[in-house]
Amino acid sequence: MSDSKSYRILNEELEEVIQKLQSEGLDVDEVVKEYQKGINLVETMEKYLKSAKNKITKIKPSKPA
Amino acid sequence: MFDDQGVTVSEFVEALNQAFETVFPIVNIVGELANFRVSKNKWVYFDLKDEYSSLKFFGSVFQLKGPLEDGMMLKVTSSPHLHNNYGFSMQIHNIELVGEGTLRRAAELLQIKLTKEGIFDMDRKRDLPYPPSKIALITSGQSAAYHDFVKIINSRWRGLEISFIDVQVQGEIAPSQIVQALNYFNVHSDNIDVLVLTRGGGSPEDLAAFNTEEVTRAVAASKIPTLVAIGHEIDISLAELAADKRASTPSHAAEVLVPDIRVVETNIKNSRNYLNVRTKEYINLVAQELMQQSKDLYSLTSDILADFTSLVTHRMEILRAYNPEAILNRGYSVVRKEGKVVRSSAILKLNDILDISLAKGSVSSQVKGIKS
Repeated sequence: MSDSKSYRILNEELEEVIQKLQSEGLDVDEVVKEYQKGINLVETMEKYLKSAKNKITKIKPSKPA
Repeated sequence: MFDDQGVTVSEFVEALNQAFETVFPIVNIVGELANFRVSKNKWVYFDLKDEYSSLKFFGSVFQLKGPLEDGMMLKVTSSPHLHNNYGFSMQIHNIELVGEGTLRRAAELLQIKLTKEGIFDMDRKRDLPYPPSKIALITSGQSAAYHDFVKIINSRWRGLEISFIDVQVQGEIAPSQIVQALNYFNVHSDNIDVLVLTRGGGSPEDLAAFNTEEVTRAVAASKIPTLVAIGHEIDISLAELAADKRASTPSHAAEVLVPDIRVVETNIKNSRNYLNVRTKEYINLVAQELMQQSKDLYSLTSDILADFTSLVTHRMEILRAYNPEAILNRGYSVVRKEGKVVRSSAILKLNDILDISLAKGSVSSQVKGIKS
């Protein structure tokens, strides 16, 4: 899995966490667990945006595919 | 060769064809299309004409890049040939459309044809993964389009893997190079999320490759979701109509593909704040509930304790009423023989020792007489 793809997944997971926290009827253990998960995701995403780089590779198709 | 005795018809036809090959091996002829027809879905016949002359052309349907109709201006690459039975015709090698009007009309005809096939249907459109991780880019490496796209994408997002095929985006070989690149990425897709085909604006002739049937079909057939951005705002090519998504310019394509990192960083900060605030709210709520429960419990315990205290007090009063000492205080005595209370004289004998408990103190005595 590449970094950027994991970013998309991280973002989806963060949205899930936020949606869960918006819902009613969570017990306090679940809230703390989701909070911890959300903060970990946020930190990974921030780190990704600071460190990842774009890479361009030129391809020469030798024959018609 | 041509002596007085003459030559056969076949010899002359052959000689003429050899002369054609030497003098006009290949010639580009520009003229207006007339009498266009396709025979058996296989052979193409038409004339090219100008004000004074007309020439017959013959070729195969594979040389047609899209629908044609009489009145269009064409540049046909061809070789003169005299057939031994059917006479003279130009054998077609390649057909190019000439002039804005012809290009527009050809695009219209192709659009009508492909629309009927459903190539441009909205329900065929797929969402582009957002943000993508792997992008396939097809454009001209020397073009402003390439530089604009790369510049904008680098300013907006991080961590992208871009595979790039450099193609000609105008001219005769552009369509086949573009189709080849599209096919290459589709065969060697390797988890590519989006395929981007782009070039900057230009004249209708410059953009003609993106209105060809082969490019339009290849875009529509791509297994990888496509983003096509050709030219400026006003030009919409058939390749763009066939794409899953279109953008107006190469820069716009980069904007459509990925979010702006500055906006995303702000959003992430907001998410972090939300997590903190929401979790604090939750914990405060739980703490309040606990406090309330503790109060309820205290109040309930106090009630129970009060009831119990009142019950005990009442019992104490009863007990107090039955206390033997209270009876002794009233002048009664308790007589015990060997520690057991004596309730009847029948169990006594003469000279038994009796203990008599008074309200204050006790007396030891001996039985001197017994009455029943």
